Amino acid sequence: MFKKLFTATLLSTALFASSAFAKETVAWWDFLGGGDGVRMKQLISDFNKDHADKIEIEATTLEWGVPFYTKVQTSSAVGEAPDIMTYHASRIPLAVSQGILQEITPDDYKTMGLSKADYPDAIWNAITQDGKQYAVPLDTHPIVLYYNKDILGKAGLLDDKGIPKGLNGAENFKAALGKAKAAGAKWGIAGVTADGNFMYRTIYSLMGQQDGELMTDGKFLAGDNPKKLENALAVLSDWTKSGLQSPYTDYPSAVALFTSGSAAMMINGVWEVPTMTDLKAKGKLFEWGAVELPTIFAHPSTYSDSHTFAIPVNKGKTATPEKHAAVLEVMSWMDKHSLFWATAGHIPAYGPVRATDEYKKMQPNATYSPLTANMIFDPKSPLFGVAGPVFDVMSTYFVPTLNGEMDPAQAVEKIKTDLGKM
Amino acid sequence: MIRNLAKENLIALVFVAPFVALFGLLFIYPTIAMFITSFTDAPLIGAGKWVGIANYVRLASDAKFGLALWNTGYFVLLSVIPGTFVALLVAVGVSRLSGWTQAIVLALFFLPYILPVSVVYRLWDWVLNFQFGLAMHVLDALWIPRVPVFKTITWFMPAVAVVTIWWTAGFSFLLFLAGLRAIPPEIYEAAALDNSNGWTTFRKITWPLLWPVTALVLTIQLILQLKIFDQVYLFSVGGRPNDTMVMVQYIYVKALVNNQGGQAAAIAVSLFVIVIAISVFQFLLLRLAGGDDSK
Amino acid sequence: MTYANLQRWNLAGGLVTVLTVLVAVIWAFPLYWGVITSLKPEDEVVRPVLEFWPEHFTFENYISAITRTQIGRWYINSLIVAGSVTLITVFTCLLCGYAISQLKFPGRRILWGLILASFMVPTQTLIINYFELMASFGLLNTLPGIILPQLINPVIIIVYKQFFDSVPKDFREAAVMDNASEWRIFYKVFMPMNWGVTAALSIVCFIWTWNAFLWPFLAVSHAEMMTVPVGITQVNDSFGISYAHRLAAAVLAGLPVAVTYLIFQRRVTQAITLSAGIKG
Repeated sequence: MFKKLFTATLLSTALFASSAFAKETVAWWDFLGGGDGVRMKQLISDFNKDHADKIEIEATTLEWGVPFYTKVQTSSAVGEAPDIMTYHASRIPLAVSQGILQEITPDDYKTMGLSKADYPDAIWNAITQDGKQYAVPLDTHPIVLYYNKDILGKAGLLDDKGIPKGLNGAENFKAALGKAKAAGAKWGIAGVTADGNFMYRTIYSLMGQQDGELMTDGKFLAGDNPKKLENALAVLSDWTKSGLQSPYTDYPSAVALFTSGSAAMMINGVWEVPTMTDLKAKGKLFEWGAVELPTIFAHPSTYSDSHTFAIPVNKGKTATPEKHAAVLEVMSWMDKHSLFWATAGHIPAYGPVRATDEYKKMQPNATYSPLTANMIFDPKSPLFGVAGPVFDVMSTYFVPTLNGEMDPAQAVEKIKTDLGKM
Repeated sequence: MIRNLAKENLIALVFVAPFVALFGLLFIYPTIAMFITSFTDAPLIGAGKWVGIANYVRLASDAKFGLALWNTGYFVLLSVIPGTFVALLVAVGVSRLSGWTQAIVLALFFLPYILPVSVVYRLWDWVLNFQFGLAMHVLDALWIPRVPVFKTITWFMPAVAVVTIWWTAGFSFLLFLAGLRAIPPEIYEAAALDNSNGWTTFRKITWPLLWPVTALVLTIQLILQLKIFDQVYLFSVGGRPNDTMVMVQYIYVKALVNNQGGQAAAIAVSLFVIVIAISVFQFLLLRLAGGDDSK
Repeated sequence: MTYANLQRWNLAGGLVTVLTVLVAVIWAFPLYWGVITSLKPEDEVVRPVLEFWPEHFTFENYISAITRTQIGRWYINSLIVAGSVTLITVFTCLLCGYAISQLKFPGRRILWGLILASFMVPTQTLIINYFELMASFGLLNTLPGIILPQLINPVIIIVYKQFFDSVPKDFREAAVMDNASEWRIFYKVFMPMNWGVTAALSIVCFIWTWNAFLWPFLAVSHAEMMTVPVGITQVNDSFGISYAHRLAAAVLAGLPVAVTYLIFQRRVTQAITLSAGIKG
C-alpha cells in the first residue's frame, strides 16, 4: 500500500522531471577535492559550454577515500548511483567483484573513438578484468618530491639547472635533510605522517625500490618481503625520530608546512602542482620544483595510481540509450581535452595528448615525467586499491610506526598477522 | 457514569492514531525486523538465508567487536561522570551570579550544546590541529610537548570525551541550575544562622537535595553516550578508524561499507540489549542510592 | 537569585565568581577562535604565531563557501526537514499525550508502557532497518526519507503526558458537567494552557533535528539532498589549504541554531528542563 503510493508519487515526479528538461543531464560524482578539484570544475564547465543544448554535467565532489567509495557502494545497491564517476584504477578489481561497475564494451570504445592503442599497457591492464574493460583511463598520478629551491640552494643541494643532487641512497638523503634543516628550514621534509592512507604510497614506492612485493602468487608478504617493508618503514621513521620529518602531520598541514617554507621538501602527489602554481602566480610562493622520488634503495621506483571514469551499476535501473550516449561523450571528451588536466600535474593517459608539443614542454611535468618508466601499481586483487581491505590494514600501523610509537619490525609482524586473517 | 465509553474510545482512537501509526512503522516494525535480520546472512538490501545464531557466534570471536565494545565503554567512562561533574561545578558557579552577568555567562556555557556536531567537529579539529592549533600554542607556552590528539590511540578517546563534554555539558548544566533554583532559600537562611560555611552548606544541604537531579543527569548521559557515533566517526576520518571504532560505528561499517546486513544487525541487537540492561540496572541502582541519601 | 543574595560576600565567594566568569570566557573561546579564523585569508591562518585578530579582514571564505558549495540548497533542505519533523512530531505527540493522560481507552497502559520503554531504546541501532525500509519505499535521497525515521521522539510525548497529568481534575469535570463534547474540551480547555510547552518543545525539537547527523548522513548520497551539517563534512569543494574556508562553512551551519537560541533563550531553557521531567 505504502509502496504503491510512493511509487506512484515518484513516477509522477520523474515524468515531470523528464518533460521539463529537453537536454540530457549527466549526474557526475568525483572525489577531486585536492589541488585538482578546480581544474576539473573548469573542464566540466567547458564541457557544458561545448554541449550547451545537448548535455549538461551536474557535478558533485564528495570526500575522498572511504566516504566516497562507501557512498558509491550503497547508492549503487539501492539504485541511486550517479551516471558517471571518477574511480581509482587500483580499486577496479574490488569493484568488479562487488558488481558495482558496468562494463565499457568494445562498442562503447568504438563510439567514443578510443582504443587500447591510445593508452599505456600498464593502465589498460589496470582497467581490464577477465578480458573486459570497466573504465576509461584519464591519467596516471604518481607521487613526486617537491622541493624549495631557495633552501636547497642554500644547503648546496642543487646543480646548476636547479635540480636537486646528492639525494640518492638512504644515508645521503638523510644527510641532505640535515643540511636543509641547517640552511634554515624547520623540517627537512614535510611528511603526511598522521595519515596512514596517504603514506601507503610512499611506503609501497620504497618497497618497489627493493623489488619488494605485497602479494606474490596470492600470498601476502611472502619470502623476504617483510624485511623489505620493514626497511621502508625504518627509513621513514628514522627521519621523524631524528627530527628531520614533521611528526603527526595531516594532509593540509603538510602542504601548509611546505608552502610556508617551514619544510624544505615534501613527498606528495602530482595533484598538488596546481596549489603551487596558483600560489606562485599570486606571488605567495618561493621558487619551487618537483622531481621523481630519489632512489633510497636499489633502483628508482614510484607508486602510481590512475584516475579513471566508470559507470556504476544502478540496481533496478537501466540508462536510456540517450543517457548512455551522453555519458560516453563525456568520457571521450574529457580524455581528448586532458591537456588541461595535465596542468593539474597529472600525466594524461590518452596517448595523443601526451604526444603534443605543448604537453612535452609543460612544467614541472616534463621534469618528472621520466619516472613513468619506473612506475609500479597495486597488485591486481580485490583486496587492494584505495580504501580497500589491505590498504585499510596497512595504514592502521603506519601512523604509530612513522611517529616512533611502534617499532618497524613489530608493525610488520602485526600487518602480517592481520593480512593473514583475510 | 456520565462518560459515553464507545464514543470516548472512538475519540481516543482519533487522537492516538497518527502517533501510533508512526510508532508502529518507524519503531516497532524496525525493531522486530532488526532481530529477524540478525539471524540471517542478508546483505544491506534484500533478504538472506536463515543462519540461526551464526552471526552471534561469530561476534564472540571477533576482535573488532570486542574492541568496539571496549572503546564504547571507555568513552562512556570518560564522558559521563566527568561531564556530570563539570556541569554541576558550572551550575553552582553560575547560580551565584545574578542579573545580566548570569544571563551572559549562562549563554556562554550553553551555546555549544545547540550547535550541530559537524560544527563542533570542525572547531575542535582546528583548535587541536597539531601544527597550527590554538591548543598546541597553549601547550608550547606551558613547555609541554605537543600532542597529536586524534592520531594516537592514547589520546583519541580522552580528546573526543573532552570535546563531547564541552558540547553537551550545557544540557546537564541547565538541569542542575533548575535543581539549584528549586532549593528553598529558607534552608540556606537557616544554615547561615548556624554559621555554616560555604563548603559545609554545599555538602550538607545542596548536594543531598540535588541528588535526584544528579541521578537523572547521570542516567540521561549514560544512555546518550552509549550510542556515540557522530563525533568518533568524524574525528577518525583520516586517522585510525579501526582502532578507535565504537559500537554504532561498527554497525555502520558492517552494514554500509562491508554490505553485511545480518552481521550488522547482530551487533545492533547486542548494543540494544546492553543499553536496555544498563539503563534498567542504573535506574534501580540510583533509586536505591537516592532513597538512602534523601531520607 | 535568592541563593546568590544569601551567600555572604567573602573572599572565597568572590574568587568562585571570578573563576566562573573566567572559565565561561575560556569555555566559549573556541567559538570565537573559529569565527575569527574564518575571517582571515588562508595564508594568514597557518602562520606560526597566534594572531587573535585578523591582519586583513576578509569575507572571501564565506563567499567561496556560498558560491562553491551548495550550502544554499542545504539550508532549504535543513529547514524543510527540521520544520516538518517538528510540526509532525509535536502535533502527533500532543494528541497522543493528551489522550493517554485524559481519556480512557483499551490498550492505554500498554501504549504508555511501550512509549516509556522506547525512551531507553537506542534508535541508532535501527539504522540498518531504517535504511532498508526507506530503500524499499524508494525514499533514499529524498526529503521524506530523511524526515520519516526522525519522527519518533518519545521525550516529547512523555513531556506532554506529564503536562496534562498535572492539570487539576476540576477543569475536565467542570467541562463535562457543562456537557461539552470531547473535542470542545480539548480545544477550549486544554489547548490554551499548553501553548508555552508547545512553543518550548517545538524550538528544541527544531534545534535537535537541525543538528541531527547520523541518519541524514546515511540516507543521502546526492549532494543536492544533504542537510547543512552533513553537507559541510561530506562535500569537499575547496583546494589547497582550506582551514578558514571549512570554518566559514561551519559558522554558516551553526548560525541559524545559534540565532534561534539567542532569541528564544528562555523557551529553550524551559524545554530542556521539561524534557528531563523537571518542572521548568
